[in-house]
This record gives sequence, structure tokens and C-alpha cells, in this order.
Amino acid sequence: MAAYVLRRLLWTVVLLAVVSFVTFVVFVQMPSADPALLRAGRNPTPEVVAAIREQFGLDQPWYVQYLKYLQQLVLHHDLGYSYQSNVSVGSEIVARLPVTLSLALGAVVIWLAVGIPIGIVSAVRRGRVSDRLLMVGALVGISAPAYWLGLVALYLLSKDIGVLPLFEGSGAYPTGGESLFTDPARVAPALVLPCLVLAASFAAIYARFVRASLSEVLAEDYIRTARAKGLRERTVVLKHGMRSTAVPVVTLLGLDLGILLGGAILVEIVFNVPGMGRLSYEAIQRADIPMIQGAVLLGGLVIILLNLVVDVVQALLDPRVRSAAT
Amino acid sequence: MTAVLEVRNLRVRLPTDDGVVTAVDGLSYRVDAGRTLGIVGESGSGKSISSLTLMGLSRFLPGAEVSGEVLLDGRDLLAAGDDELRRVRGAGIAMIFQDPLSALHPYFKVGAQLAEAVRAHRDVGRRAAEARAIELLDLVGVPEARRRASAYAHELSGGMRQRAMIAMALANEPRVLIADEPTTALDATVQAQILEELERLQRELGMAIVLITHDMGVVAQVAHEIAVMYAGRIVEHGPVDTILGEPQHPYTWGLLTSIPQLHLPRGGLLPSIPGRPPSLISPPSGCRFHPRCVHARPEHSAREPQLEALPDAPDHRVACLLDPDERRARWQSLRDAASGELAR
Amino acid sequence: MSLNVGRVRAVRVRPAAALALAGAVAALAGCGGTSSDAPTEPLTDTPAKLERGVRGGAATLLSAADVDSLDPAIADYNVGMMVLQATQRTLYSFLPNDATTLVPDLAKGAPKISDDGRTVTVKIKSGVRFAPPVDREVTSRDVKYALERGFTKQVPSGYAAAYFGSIAGTPAKPNSGDLRDVSGIRTPDDRTLVLELTRPNAGLVSQALVKGITAPVPPEYARRFDRQNPSTYAQHVIATGPYMVEQDASGRVTGWSPGRELRLVRNPNWDPATDFRPAYLDRIEIAGGNTDSGVAARRALSGEGSICCDAGSPPIELLRSALQSTPDQVTLFPQRTANWVALNTTVRPLDNLNVRRALMAGVNRSALRLPRGGPLLGELATGYLPPGLQGYEEAGGAHQGANLDFNADPEGDAEVARRYMLAAKRDGLPIDEQGRYVGDDEILAVAANSEPDDKTAEAFQAEARKLGFDVTLRLVPREVVYTNFCSTPAKRVAVCFVAFGSDTPDPYSMLVLPFDGRSIRREGNLNISQLDDPGVNAAIDRAAALSVEEGRIDAWADVDEAILAQAPAIPYVWSKRALVASKDVQLVANRYSTMPDLSFTSIRK
Repeated sequence: MAAYVLRRLLWTVVLLAVVSFVTFVVFVQMPSADPALLRAGRNPTPEVVAAIREQFGLDQPWYVQYLKYLQQLVLHHDLGYSYQSNVSVGSEIVARLPVTLSLALGAVVIWLAVGIPIGIVSAVRRGRVSDRLLMVGALVGISAPAYWLGLVALYLLSKDIGVLPLFEGSGAYPTGGESLFTDPARVAPALVLPCLVLAASFAAIYARFVRASLSEVLAEDYIRTARAKGLRERTVVLKHGMRSTAVPVVTLLGLDLGILLGGAILVEIVFNVPGMGRLSYEAIQRADIPMIQGAVLLGGLVIILLNLVVDVVQALLDPRVRSAAT
Repeated sequence: MTAVLEVRNLRVRLPTDDGVVTAVDGLSYRVDAGRTLGIVGESGSGKSISSLTLMGLSRFLPGAEVSGEVLLDGRDLLAAGDDELRRVRGAGIAMIFQDPLSALHPYFKVGAQLAEAVRAHRDVGRRAAEARAIELLDLVGVPEARRRASAYAHELSGGMRQRAMIAMALANEPRVLIADEPTTALDATVQAQILEELERLQRELGMAIVLITHDMGVVAQVAHEIAVMYAGRIVEHGPVDTILGEPQHPYTWGLLTSIPQLHLPRGGLLPSIPGRPPSLISPPSGCRFHPRCVHARPEHSAREPQLEALPDAPDHRVACLLDPDERRARWQSLRDAASGELAR
Repeated sequence: MSLNVGRVRAVRVRPAAALALAGAVAALAGCGGTSSDAPTEPLTDTPAKLERGVRGGAATLLSAADVDSLDPAIADYNVGMMVLQATQRTLYSFLPNDATTLVPDLAKGAPKISDDGRTVTVKIKSGVRFAPPVDREVTSRDVKYALERGFTKQVPSGYAAAYFGSIAGTPAKPNSGDLRDVSGIRTPDDRTLVLELTRPNAGLVSQALVKGITAPVPPEYARRFDRQNPSTYAQHVIATGPYMVEQDASGRVTGWSPGRELRLVRNPNWDPATDFRPAYLDRIEIAGGNTDSGVAARRALSGEGSICCDAGSPPIELLRSALQSTPDQVTLFPQRTANWVALNTTVRPLDNLNVRRALMAGVNRSALRLPRGGPLLGELATGYLPPGLQGYEEAGGAHQGANLDFNADPEGDAEVARRYMLAAKRDGLPIDEQGRYVGDDEILAVAANSEPDDKTAEAFQAEARKLGFDVTLRLVPREVVYTNFCSTPAKRVAVCFVAFGSDTPDPYSMLVLPFDGRSIRREGNLNISQLDDPGVNAAIDRAAALSVEEGRIDAWADVDEAILAQAPAIPYVWSKRALVASKDVQLVANRYSTMPDLSFTSIRK
């Protein structure tokens, strides 16, 4: 097992290198907007633009730029500075990551608490009216675009502009880098609506997934054995059935979490949550290449690491995989 | 002896996309304590469904319609409520299944699953149940029972797994053990061991066993009585020696002659029963076996044969329209034609 | 000068109709020129109200964009300008409701221009002090340093060379070298600043003394930051105005989290006796990330102490309903921006003057204005000088270029259009007897694929079709409209949609870059029509050489007319900007920055 994990970690480094390379090429070779131009002010003369370009090394061939970037990154652990605000990329990421983490974890708790029970009920009552109603609801949850759902939530439920002023609205999240871990009293109320909106479509997905997976599991022979043993149906479904469903659900959760930690962009924008998603969005708008690179690298690292965690957890949960790995 | 288990006129209908399947059509038999009934038939003959129904497991098949009576020590299980039935499952009647690898939960340790079976019906603590689990494994002949109890199903050999399943079934000393194809997934050598184990356990614990199989060789080894099922019905029923020695139904003849014999020359074609199992949605008219019966006469498609005792052997019943003497003669010629004897 | 739609939007989300930064005549009464626009304009910032206001309280601006920079030499976009106005004293400045008249701020009295137009002398006020930890009084040497640093490679000021490149001794290549003494900036004493120019354009230079680069920078404090490349002075900026960005004892800025918020507090060293600003508010916060202007505007309207928006106006429907129910929470004002349809004079058939005149006559400008909010948010334009800019009145006010028959009716005159089409037919173009174009030249138009630019382009397409022109419309992402298409002459785009605003009160900033033949560049070209008319160029030269006393403004009005005669672009709207505020906010808008004036806004108690 240890050798396996080590191998995977090495592979992680390789993958990250590839990710950073591809990102670099995409944003430097094919920019939608010229970062030097964007930084140079409203109506700069060509000389000013050229001077800025030279200053950032943007006039070098792209492979030279990439090598310099790698050098900075590996030798000095320096992710660079924003083209626009001159803030260090690393410090911005450090300030924003806990925010996205808070949002993601809040949403995870909600969608697991809602989606899994719905999925179980649907699987057990498969084909019946309750199942159909729940699955239609799930379809709505999946189909509703996050941005729209967010705006609807604001106009219906937010304290400042909503019809029913129940929850904190857009811009309520404190801007000083606080997170659920450092200042839950202020952060939690501001996260209610964003987490609900973010959780909506995931809850629906997980409900459908659990329904499908559990239905399959309930048709397995060992479930028949469990019933034949005289176990209560509740035990059969929740202990024997869910134990098997847990494995793919955990896998899915790991992958979803990985993606979320890169930043739930739409929800962060609607609710003005200063997380990684907003950072990426703003950086891309401004062609702030060091910031984009930093965000992408972080997102890539998170996804890759979580993939590894998921694989390890799978081995822990499924003794058959464990035997195969050792 | 009083019958521990008595099935009367059991009928099971299942809705499918193609129509309603009458999987079991008027099944009746009884088993006494300490006795083994072997139910033999092809796949699709309804033998597995009938056993599931005994335990009320058909209630989990959506849309199943069950009629008839299943009496366990005189109590009708089919009329019982869900909760009562649950208490019977695993305690009054226990079942072991064909493939122990898929029948055991892959993610729980074997010992834990056994302990669970114990605690489902008795109020014992966890430690006590685990101790009992190890005892049970010992009982069924699993060496190093303590170590094996901490193993997962896939870490045990086929034989060990089936023994563990048997142990789980015996955890609460059931009155009836239903074994559905218990040896089909095992090697020939292990097969023999398992069957011996079952015999021994029956002697020690005195339970009734219903052994379901398609393999005549298996029932020959352990059954006291044999019931041959075809298309949801019993077509022949009698003591094991009689059925194996003096079978009266053409289908039984087919089953007996199609057993591979080790001492037969190689390369010879294995005789088999021509045709395919019948549709249980719309079974053949008259005698259900007639489309595949080489001895069938045209009028056999019009009349349904009843399961009737032979005049000189009241415990041997056959459902066939042929004349008994004719049948005896045909069997004789068949037996002579097949080289070698049936091993017992 | 500023070209707004497109590239700018990529950087900061700016008002769709740009940040014109030039003077506005008290346009509240005057700008409603034609009878078709007479919207109710809540008068929250008339001169009378400028004096009233209660001291104390805090206000929040809900903004989409961030400050572009806290460095006074670099800040050029609207939020940056707003902060600059509140925290820095430039040599000259503006009162909130008049962006045409320069008001001495750090300077004492008007600038003195020599007869030969090559010297500008400015006196510096005494008693203006830097914020802690610098604390001392501002001298002329601080302004000299501020100008010099704008030319270094460490401080990439986008406009230093453009406006102050004529100062003797400034490097030939801007933003290229290290800091060095610029001989043309002299400080004979602590209170006097003299600029010696290599060209006689003191007129333009003196108008440009409102720019942020003239805000003083203390060299002994700033040098170590300016040595870094790029300079980190913005993270340690020292204020001279009534407010400053929250900072620690060493001067390091602590109140700015980029993209998230910016906090302004009072500058303890600011002396109100030296300043025309009342500075009522105690604290100001700029809350970033409010990208949805509908949500943000609603929050401002229903909340407390909040103001919106920096990126464009709030949605039209919201504005309409707010104007009906709570009109004193809405402030509408012209933003010295003109929108026009640029016609490429080098591409067939637009290279024919009569065709261009026909289009100008035939297009109904109301239809183009409609997607941008209709009469509520702008007047129909008849020329290139918007209200609030010097020269607007001189050029004819709401009726610029009235002598030109093809420009007389902004809603279109089919008869005049037909006449010009027939004239073009006589020039040999494929036009039929009814005056409809029947040729098959591809007329490529490029516009942004988002609202309202896409709708404006489609409206133009429909209008052009009336004359038989089949315009091929290509909608592309906003960020690339200019960088990939319209600003690159080689792409030969026939029609582009431009919003242009001036960043000085002088008409130079409005007319030269888009219409002077010598401004044409291969890349980053802002003369999108590629107009290169000797008559226009000569008129420009004439006006640029004059000072205000010599009749500069009238000369620019003539330039406006000369350009119109060439019909290189169809102006269709002079757009207005709308700001909304909470009930308790007495909002004063600054016409120069088109943003709230933080030094004049107050909270009603």
C-alpha cells in the first residue's frame, strides 16, 4: 500500500507539470486579451505597451517564459505576482482557499444529508408514486442552472432584496479572508443561501445516483441472504445495502469535492463570496496570467490529490480492492 | 413422524414483460424431521422459486401472486404477517444458496455475518455472538475457525465459503434447511465433502432438509426421497431407491441417462433430453412434457396427467398418461441400452 | 481620451458607455436638447445642495470592479479615479457638477502660460501636508518627483508620455529607464513649479494638470518602493486629500484586499482650510465583486448607506421603477461620452463620401439608441462633442453640424439619403434608380456579443438594409472586438461600434485620436474610420496650437464640423449615467469621474 501511494504521488508531480504546461501554452500563446495592453491604462501609446511587455517578459518566446515560471515555482516556491494588482499570487490563494473550502464543505453536508436519504427512499419504493415524485424533483434540481437558482434565491429569500427576508444575501460574506474555521459566527449565516444553491443540483445528482446504485445492490444475492437470515428490512437496506453503495458514493464525492475546491464559480459570483472561483473568473477576465496559472495549478493539485485519496479510501472500504492492491 | 414441513398446492405467479409466468403450479409435498427431500429439475422448472416462497422471500419479488399453504409445524407461513415471517426466516427455516461468493456480503467479515445471524433471533451480546460464530464454523468442519472468522468471503476457498454459509444457516438450529444447488459452484471433490457434511449435520441436529438441484448424482448421495419437477409441477415422487432404480416418468429417464459416467468411453455423445424447457407463460396443453417426450402419443396433448400413486407402491407417485407396464418395459430397455450402471 | 467598449470591458467592468472624463456644463437644465428627451432628472447635485451635508457616517459603494491602481500616476479607470479624487490633491481639479472649469486644488490660482506657449508656471498652496508617517508639508519638488517617476520603467503610467511628453528632458522612450532628473521640470522654490516644453502645446499641458500624475509624491519616502520593478509605492501610498486608504503606522496599505474591499478613513493631516472639499463622511468602503448590477442596485436602493454602480447603469426597468417610486434615490447625468458607428473610409463602398453621407442621413439614430435605454439614458447625438465637454455649446449644442443636410434630422431623412445615394450612383457605384445599393461587396460589421452592443448592431443592420446595404454582422466576445478586429486596419472591418469618452475637459482628447489621420496605427488603432482628410488634419493642427484665450474652443468646434462633413462615423447617442443610492445617502456625483464624489457625498441623519 505504501509503495502504491508513493508511486501515485510521483505521478502527481508529473501530472501537475503537464497541467501547468498546457495552461501556460493556452493563455500565453492564445490570449483572448493582451495582458500588457490591459495593464497599460486606458489609451496607452504603443511605447508604453511595449515597455510593459518587456517588463513582464512577455516579449520572450513562450518556452523561455515557461522555463522562467517553472524556475520561480520550483526553486523559490514563488507563484509570481498579479499583473494587475501586484499582489502575490500565493497570498491571494491562501486568503481565498479557506473561503471556497467553507462553501464546499457546507454544501457537501447539505447535499449528502438531503440527497442520500431521498435516494434510499426512492430505491426502496422503486416504481411507486413517491419514487416518481422524488425523481422529478431531482430532475428539476439538476436542470436548474446554478446562476439562475442563485438569483432566484436572492430575490426570494435574501434579507436585503428578497420577498421573504430570511437569509443573508449577496455580499454578506466578510471580505477579510475569514472562513468557517476561523470565524463561524459571521461566516455561517452568509453561507446559508450559497450552500443551499450549490447543494441543490448535487443533492439531486446524488439522490439519483444512490437510487440507481442501491437498486442494483438490492438485487444482489447477498441481500437475499440477509433477508433469508431473518434480518429486519431496515437493517438489510441500511446496513447491507448502503455499505455496498457507500463505495461508489464516496468515490463520486471525492471527485466532486475536487472540482468544487477549484471554485464554485457561478455561486461565488452571484453571492459575492471571495473564494477561488471568483479569483479565477476575475483573473481570466483580466488575462492576469500568473493568477490564472496559480489558480489552475491549485485546482489541478486538489483534484489529483483527491483522486488519490479516493482510491485509497476505496481500498479501505472494499476489501476486494485491498487484496488486489497488496 | 410428524411432518415438519408440508406444502399444499403451492402456486406462484410472477408478472413479466412478456406475460404472467406461472412458475409453480400446484406443488405439494411433505418432509419429516431428520429426512432429506431432493427436488430435481432443469433450470426454469420452478424449483428455486418454490423454495424462496417457502421463506416468504417471494414477497420481495414485485407483483408476485402466491396461493396454497406452507405449513411449518402446522402453522401456515403464507398467511403469516411480515414480522412473523421474518422471525421464521433464519430460525424456523434457513436457506443456503448456490454461489457462496455472491451470497456472502463482500464487505463484512464472515464471522461478523455469522454473528449477525445469531443476534437476529437471539438476545445475545456481541462477544457472545462472535464466540458462537466461531463455534459454528468449527461445527461445519472449517479448520482454524477463529482465523477464518476474520476473513472476508473472497479470501476463503469455495468449500470454506459454502461451509460458512451452512454454518450461518444453522446458527439458530432451524427445523428445516433448504439447500438450493449447494454444490453446483464447487469442484467435484469439494462437492462430496459438503454433501457428507450436510448428512452429518442432519444426523446430529435432526433437521429436515430440502435439497434442490438439477444434478441426479447429488440427490442420489444424500436424499431419502426424490421429487422430480417439470414446468412447475411434480411429475414423479418417491423414495430415492425407487426413483433411481425404477423410475416411471420419461423425464426422469432422461435425467438419469444424461448423467455423465466416468467409466464410459470418451468421445461418445452424451444423451440428452431433446427440446427446450417449456414456456411457463403458456405451457403446452395436456401433458406438459409431451412435446419433448419420445413416447408421446397424439392424445397426450389433450389430457393432463394427475400425480397418482402406483397401485403396488403407494409412496411412489407419477404423473404420466402412459400405461405403467409399458413404462416399466421401456425403462428396462433404456437401462440395458446404456452401458454401465448408475453409481450410487 | 478613452475607447471603452471592448478592451476596457475586459479589464475592468466599466460603464458600457465609457468613462468620459471631461468637463460638463451644468447640463442638468441644458442637456435636454431635443424635445424627444425630457426625462425627469432628479437634481440631487445642484450647486445649492453642494454646501449642505451633515458630518459623519459611513457609505459603501457596491462595485463590480476594483481599483485599477492606488498609484496616482497609474490610476485611470473609474473606481481608481474616484479613490484618487478623495485621497489625492492634484494640481487642478473639478467641482463635482462642473467638469469643464479647472479649479485650483494643490495649485494656487490659474496656471500661467508664456506667450510662446512653451512654459507653464504653477504656484503651490502652502499648508497642504502628507498623511502619516510622512507628515510634512508638500513642496513643488514633490510634484516634480511625481511627474518624473511617471516616465520610469518601474511606474508604467499609461498617459504620462501622451500629455507630458513635450516637457523637455523627458525620455524619448517612455517607461524605459530608471529614475532621472527631468530638466524641463524646474522648482525655483518650494512653492513654484515650472514646466518647460519642447513644443508650444502649453494649452493642452495646462488642461492636463488635472491628471493624477500631478498629485505629489514624497521622494524620500517613495524612492525605495519606486526602485522595485514594478514599483510597490501603491502598497504604501501616502495621501494628501481628505481621506486615505486605511494603513498601518509605517504607511503600508492595510485597507485594500484586491477584488474584495477597500476601506477609506479620514486623513488626520488634512486641513479643510486649504481645500474646497467638505468631506462629510467619516468612513467609506468599496465592496467589490458585485458583478450583477441588478442585484447590487436593488441592494443599494433598499439598504442603508449604499451606492451603486460602477459598471454601467442599473437595468433599465429597475431605473424606470425607481424613478417613479423613489426619484431622489436616482442620479442621472451626462458622462461626456459619445457613441457612434465608425465607417471604415478605406473599404468599399464606404470609401465613397456620398455613400457615407447617405448612411448618415438614412439611419434612424433612435433605433440605435433604443437597446441602450432609449431616451432615459441618453440624448440623440448630432456630433462628436457630447454635452459637458468644452466645445459642446460652441459646436451647436444639441444641434451640431446643422448646416449639413445629411445630419439635420437624427431620426433619418429618407429623401436626403436617397439623394446622396443617387450622387454615389453618379460616381459609378452599383446603385439602382430608387437609390438602393445593389452591389455585392461584403460589408463586415463587428460588435460585442453581449447586451446592448449586439442589439445596437442588429438595429444598425436593419437600418442599413433600408438603403439596400446587406451588412454581415459578426458578434464576438467583448474582449476581442478591438484587439482582434476593429483596432487592426489589416482586418478591413467595415463597421465598428464605438463608445468614446474624453479624459480631459479639452476637445482635443475627444477628436484627435479617433479622427486625425496621423493617429492611424497598424495595431491598437483608435482612428477606426481611418479618416485621413487633409482638411480635418489642418483644422486639428490649428486648434491644438491655440490657447483658450486665443479661441481654442471655437476652433475645436470647427474641427467637429469639418469631421462631420466627411461623415466618417454616425454619432447616435450622448449617453447618460445613472447612479442609485440608499434613502439615507445624499449622493453627489462627480461629473469628471462619473462616479460618486466621496468628498461631497453625505449621510442624512
